[in-house]
Amino acid sequence: MDVWQQLIFLLEGVPLTLSISIISFLLGIAIGFPLAFMRVYEKEVSFVIGGYEKIFRGIPEIVLMLMFYFGLGPFFPIPFGSAFFVAAFVLGLRSGANQSQIYRGAIRGVGDEQMIAGMSVGFSKWRSIWHIMVPQVFTFSTPGLGSEYALLIKDSAYVYVIGGLAEIMTISIRIKSTPPYDAITPFVLAAILYIIITFPIAYYLDRWGNKRKKTIGL
Amino acid sequence: MATFVMEAKNVYKTYTMKGDKKGEEKVVEAVKDVSLTIRKGDIKLIFGPSGSGKSTFLRCMAMLDIPDKGQIYLGDECLTKSGVDLNKARARIGFVFQHIYLFRHLTALGNVELALRQVLKLPKEQARKRALDALTEVKVCDCANKYPSQMSGGQAQRVGIARAIARNPDIILLDEPTSALDPELTGEVIDTLRDLAKEGTTMLIVSHEMPFAKEVAEEMIFYDEGRIIEVGPPSLFFNAPNTDRAKQFMTRIINRTTR
Amino acid sequence: MFEWLANPTYYTWILQGLTLTIEITLFGVFLGLILGTILAMGDIYGGKIVRGFIAVYVEFFRGSPLFVQLFIAVYTIPAILNIQISHYFLAFLVFGLNSAAYQKGYLKGSMQTVLDDQMAAGLSVGMSRIQTLRYVILPQAYRIVIPSWTNEFCSLTKSTSTVAFVGLFDLVSAGLSIRMRTFEIIPVWIVIGLIYLAWITGVSKIMDIVYERKKIPGIELDMQS
Repeated sequence: MDVWQQLIFLLEGVPLTLSISIISFLLGIAIGFPLAFMRVYEKEVSFVIGGYEKIFRGIPEIVLMLMFYFGLGPFFPIPFGSAFFVAAFVLGLRSGANQSQIYRGAIRGVGDEQMIAGMSVGFSKWRSIWHIMVPQVFTFSTPGLGSEYALLIKDSAYVYVIGGLAEIMTISIRIKSTPPYDAITPFVLAAILYIIITFPIAYYLDRWGNKRKKTIGL
Repeated sequence: MATFVMEAKNVYKTYTMKGDKKGEEKVVEAVKDVSLTIRKGDIKLIFGPSGSGKSTFLRCMAMLDIPDKGQIYLGDECLTKSGVDLNKARARIGFVFQHIYLFRHLTALGNVELALRQVLKLPKEQARKRALDALTEVKVCDCANKYPSQMSGGQAQRVGIARAIARNPDIILLDEPTSALDPELTGEVIDTLRDLAKEGTTMLIVSHEMPFAKEVAEEMIFYDEGRIIEVGPPSLFFNAPNTDRAKQFMTRIINRTTR
Repeated sequence: MFEWLANPTYYTWILQGLTLTIEITLFGVFLGLILGTILAMGDIYGGKIVRGFIAVYVEFFRGSPLFVQLFIAVYTIPAILNIQISHYFLAFLVFGLNSAAYQKGYLKGSMQTVLDDQMAAGLSVGMSRIQTLRYVILPQAYRIVIPSWTNEFCSLTKSTSTVAFVGLFDLVSAGLSIRMRTFEIIPVWIVIGLIYLAWITGVSKIMDIVYERKKIPGIELDMQS
């Protein structure tokens, strides 16, 4: 197998890599965004949410994936029998914990005064949050979210440990495992491929985010 | 043997800053052909409109910024020649910054001791004693173990002065020592400078504290748009400056500072 | 469900695995700190070529998964050099190199926060640039950076779970081995997960204490904590 053939095989893994990262990112938003606002504005649940964050930022993703896939998979093949689901699920939960932190920082950065100003024109607390804080928080978080997404692309490689999913990392190892057992090119190519995917996202999202922040005065 | 402590000859210095439009850069001529001689015991004060380049000139004297053209002499030594050990030269010059710039991670005592130990290579006890003496001289000895963030601006600036004088430098350069302080705190710093002046310290100050200038400065230098416009004793400026620009400036200043 | 914990063989494995995990983490963070400092200074004071090299280095280690970097270290490098190298040595090395890429960012940021004014102050008392870096800039930069360091510790610990898949016996390997014998899949991973959690929580608490004691009164880098 020469370099070009390997490259083609690896490129076939890109869609799966991207799918895992996109879905877990969206799951992360769905979890992290509400959690952040709840943690800031409803103090009673703050402790519980803090616990969630600690667990999913403290336990390695590999451990969680192994647990869900091999532990729950046999009993609940739908959905835990699917490597794709387990990977996206675990990474989504982890991303939710990370993003909760990011949005909390953004809420602090935007400033409570904005919400209070909203209430002064007649909005209730939560409507004020929805109409005034939420858009600003999103803008403020864009740089942090960029790096979170890049992180998810890289962590999608973990799905290798539960096997069977032909994304970039798994394919590169398969290439090494077949004759002529090339241990050099597949991994280097895989690394370059990941870099090509993550670099623009992290870089441009960062710049776009900082520009937008500036224009609305954050 | 040089008869002067420091001399600046035909110094020229520009710097670039961001322009008003995006991507634009402005070249500011901060120092345009400025020459100045300071003799032992002199107390000279440079004053003038803000942004005229006074601070830049002072930093050039201390070789904290390197002049584009011209020479700076510290005694016999020409500092602007290549190959000169600037660190040794700067060890003989004391500098006090407008924004103080104390070493944040050290106490007041630590701030003064650091150069004594690392530059003058004094042993621990000697360095400590000299540091305490310097702090006592500026009357902040009770702050010795405090960190910069725990002091008032006036106390911090006095520590800055102690840090500058502890090495017994040939000259002390002060860049607007009171400008960044709240008005109530400037008094203590001015008192300290007055004491230093009484002891015969050679000082070159950039400041617009006019009352202090009147009392302490022997010679005042009016600096505007990169050049020295007029030089003379305080009495000249406070009564009848020769140049129009100096006249304009003095009227504005005297009207503002009614103390 | 958890009876296997009583079995000495199993908890010996756990201790063995935990030891390696901790060793790699500590080594990685410290090598990362030293190398990261050098990279940060190189980025601030170096010329175009040096900065270019540093940019490539950082982009490589931050842009690709550590998992892939580990495989490159363990399989690709020996293949290229055509010699046998201990997997342990290569793994330790790659974690240090990876961490350095991240720490360079934190350190450069914290150095630049204090650089301009503190360097001017250091020069003004006659110290050389190097002396100022050593006695004024770096002491402040390291203290400011402690919160990010905590983050790096946690991140690194979690990443060490990959070494199980290049043949090293870490905590995950211990879990895999135990699971193979006892077939108690979920309990085993719960225990392993809790051990990681305990380690990370412990380290975080210690770093918080260190930060409280070492921080410069009045200075905190504004971090999203």
